[in-house]
Amino acid sequence: MSFTNTTSSFGARFLTLAALAGGLGFAVESGAADAVRYTTKFGSKVSIAGTSSIHAWTMDGQIIQGFFEVPAGVVLDPAQANLAGVTDGKLNAKVETMIPVRSLKSTHSGMDEVMQQAMNAETHPKIQFSLTEMVLKGPHAAGTPLQFDTKGDLVVNGITNKISIPVSIEAADKGKLKVVGMVPLKMTDFKVKPPAPAVGLGLITTGDEVKISFEWLIALAAPAK
Amino acid sequence: MNPNEVENGQIDWTRREFLRGASFGTLMMLMGGVPLEAQQTNAPAGDAPTTYHTYGPPVSLGLVGCGAWGKEILQTLALLPNAPVVAICDTYPAALRKVKDAAPKAETFDDYKKLLASPKVEAVIVATPSHLHREVVEAALAAGKHVYCEAPLASTHEDALEIARAAKAAVKLNFQSGLQVRSDPQKHWLVKFIRGGAVGKTVMARSQWHKKTSWRRPAANPEREAALNWRLNSKTSGGLLGEIGIHQLDLMRWYLNGRPTSVAGFGGIVNYADGRDVADTLQTVLEFANGVNLSFDCTLASSFDSDYDMIYGTDSSVMMRGNKAWMFKENDAPLVGWEVYARKDLFYNETGIALVADASKQKAMLNKATAAEASFAESPLHYALVSFVKNSHLTATQVEDFMSSGGELADLPTFLAKEAGSRGPAAGYQEGFEATALALKANEAVIKGQKINLPKDLFQI
Repeated sequence: MSFTNTTSSFGARFLTLAALAGGLGFAVESGAADAVRYTTKFGSKVSIAGTSSIHAWTMDGQIIQGFFEVPAGVVLDPAQANLAGVTDGKLNAKVETMIPVRSLKSTHSGMDEVMQQAMNAETHPKIQFSLTEMVLKGPHAAGTPLQFDTKGDLVVNGITNKISIPVSIEAADKGKLKVVGMVPLKMTDFKVKPPAPAVGLGLITTGDEVKISFEWLIALAAPAK
Repeated sequence: MNPNEVENGQIDWTRREFLRGASFGTLMMLMGGVPLEAQQTNAPAGDAPTTYHTYGPPVSLGLVGCGAWGKEILQTLALLPNAPVVAICDTYPAALRKVKDAAPKAETFDDYKKLLASPKVEAVIVATPSHLHREVVEAALAAGKHVYCEAPLASTHEDALEIARAAKAAVKLNFQSGLQVRSDPQKHWLVKFIRGGAVGKTVMARSQWHKKTSWRRPAANPEREAALNWRLNSKTSGGLLGEIGIHQLDLMRWYLNGRPTSVAGFGGIVNYADGRDVADTLQTVLEFANGVNLSFDCTLASSFDSDYDMIYGTDSSVMMRGNKAWMFKENDAPLVGWEVYARKDLFYNETGIALVADASKQKAMLNKATAAEASFAESPLHYALVSFVKNSHLTATQVEDFMSSGGELADLPTFLAKEAGSRGPAAGYQEGFEATALALKANEAVIKGQKINLPKDLFQI
């Protein structure tokens, strides 16, 4: 390959990226005009729990990036009996969240690095979720958490799968909201090979099924200055 | 100078004696983690099992101070897969030339400020003479570099305090003190063993460091000779206790789980009256709570019985020597069980039961050939640098992730504290400062031939 070829192919890739970034920027701006945005706050929790033939294991993190957007007029207040601005129980929300794979920590030395490799964190550094549907589950009693059935696209290891997660939204301190949910997954659905110890002579195996649970702390974004 | 001559006596037992035996796999299993590879049963046919490594992404390092210890650091880093040395610095050109082989790809600098200005350098190891640490460490932290500062932090209490304060204030950066023994997995295993009650009631402790060496380094001219032998001048040196004893005093303080309340010292120049004003032979006694005292003797004039640390208890006594340890049981002590299977060694007319981190019955039966070997075969410096690289990367990524998820600076210390469990074991600024303050007071007690009280605020940052 000649030097010129390399340069032009890099240039073309760069242009594509720039166009993509520009497009995204536009989408966010247009959405912000008629929507209310909640952004992530310190105090979130995420946990992946799994099994192996010797003991259960978990990986925990404190980082959930992204935003939760609802149409103007919708008030997410679990203290109220009615969810203002919602018709037929369908909430027209926009949710984009990301969890850096490297922020998930296990209690076992060396496990973090192995999990990051198993999930190809270098090429796919983030677990991503985009909401496609959010429906209020039955009638809501004032003062109890808001219950929803949600659907969305989950990207792990660069593989996208459609998932359903029941989610509750409860009030947290200082006007914050806590979005809580749990979803069982199979590592192999995302082409992640369940890691197994090399010293176990084949006797120690890691279960394919894991449970991802999260408590996502969000608050109304400060108005733009 | 003979490159194999180890300067501070902390590591010379490692390479010669303990590089046999235990595999990395055994090591990882003992640490609670195990080297993992992709499970073969779930893999599609023909898909080879993936082998994973347990080290993290690389951190680009710069070394300031390329003397004998700097060279030891470079040689240790050269064996790590994720610790590229991109810059080295020394004010003396010949020193740079001598270590260049150990870091062939590193850019060389004659001024640490130029090294700190290099955007390639993510983390800095400071191995200058102790009295020159402060300026470099403060500038490195100000330049946003993670810092590994050799022990002691400094040769004066004031400098050590300022270093610790700067490190504490730099919440976004990883700071590690060069108390390498604090990173040694064998010592972490032993501390649990001792605190778990195996020695009964602790009654006293004793450490020694004996070596036959002048501590004087030869140089090409008188000016260089004076600069090189800063350890022999009380104006620039914390003496034997500040430069060497600090590691053992800190280890025992850690094991005795408390701060000493006083230190007494005795010593002088008994063998090397060559113009130095730093004691070549000394004894010191540290008072801990409940009447438990630590005595420590240190000499450059006799090598008898080398260096080791002892904890004496009512049920048994524990001897720590290099990365090995033995338990000596009292006749009336209860039988624990596993010691039946353990290796025994004879010391004078005492039987030492080898304390090996994996000395369980199963382990002994499974692997008789290697059970006698030390479980953790690398030097403490190796483990300390592994932790430094790991923790520097962790801190950088944690701060980045935290700030990009709506985190506010005021919450950062809380966030990092919650993540502390994923860090490699290492001495931070607090441990580094306390050990330095203690060793310098012990040195002062030796100089004065007095007992000095150690108030609590002596250890406060």
